[in-house]
Amino acid sequence: MPEAIEIQLKKGVLALCVLALLSRSDSYAYEIASRLAKDIDMGEGTIYPLMRRMQSDGLVETYLVESQSGPPRKYYRLTSAGRASFTQQKAEWAAFTTAVEDILGAAA
Amino acid sequence: MTRTEFMTRLRRGLAGLPATTIADIVADHEAHFADALAEGRSEAEAAAALGDPDRLARELRADAGLRRWEETKSPSNAGAAIVALIGLGAIDIMFLLPLLMGVLGALFGFLVAVVALFVSGGFVFAMGPLAAPPGGPMTAFLAGVGLMATATFLGSLLTVATVGLFNAVVWYARLHFRLLKPAIENQG
Repeated sequence: MPEAIEIQLKKGVLALCVLALLSRSDSYAYEIASRLAKDIDMGEGTIYPLMRRMQSDGLVETYLVESQSGPPRKYYRLTSAGRASFTQQKAEWAAFTTAVEDILGAAA
Repeated sequence: MTRTEFMTRLRRGLAGLPATTIADIVADHEAHFADALAEGRSEAEAAAALGDPDRLARELRADAGLRRWEETKSPSNAGAAIVALIGLGAIDIMFLLPLLMGVLGALFGFLVAVVALFVSGGFVFAMGPLAAPPGGPMTAFLAGVGLMATATFLGSLLTVATVGLFNAVVWYARLHFRLLKPAIENQG
């Protein structure tokens, strides 16, 4: 049961985490994936369906950057819709975690 | 699993999607392997961290199917979306199928009724005036037009209801979309 909660939580915040990373700087999928795999222990493969979905939802857009080794690298950046979505989701997340913290604190 | 094996299975799982979409997805994963190797990870490590390629392909296909349905509401897109979601296990077919069959049966019944109404309207419209009806030819003529208009109206209501039904199925599936679960589980 704890695993189920953990999975649901991660699932919910993954898109928010990607928005947050991209709000700091543009990035490419491998970098985002390895960062999230390390920090919140998610499967690296999940990043690709997620990025495709965010791209078709108009939250991120891509551009190519030449690299010295191998083919050009695909970078993601937030669109203005992506920024707006990040601001909104971040506020929702803050309100939600505050409420949960209060309840947890009261229960302790 | 080697990089080649992973890519072969991914490609096989994506078959049926538009060629440009497949090329995009394949390029993304090839780049992932290239980056992982450059970081000193082995092909097997990189493949394990990515997760099951069959499962990833199913997720990507299901998502493409949903997207097409959301963009264009056509029967074939509805079918494709449903099939893709069933493949993903996002729709519990045993639970949903009887329900869906019942609703689809009812919709089909309505469709037959609407078509019959339209045809009989057409008949009254064309033949009524010749049959010396009560109220004169004009009444029969107008009654025919009225019946056909009613049938057209009911038909469009039916279309709206059908689109609504498939939207509800897609909504249900999204609610139960266990997109991340396997990838996270695979890590353990």
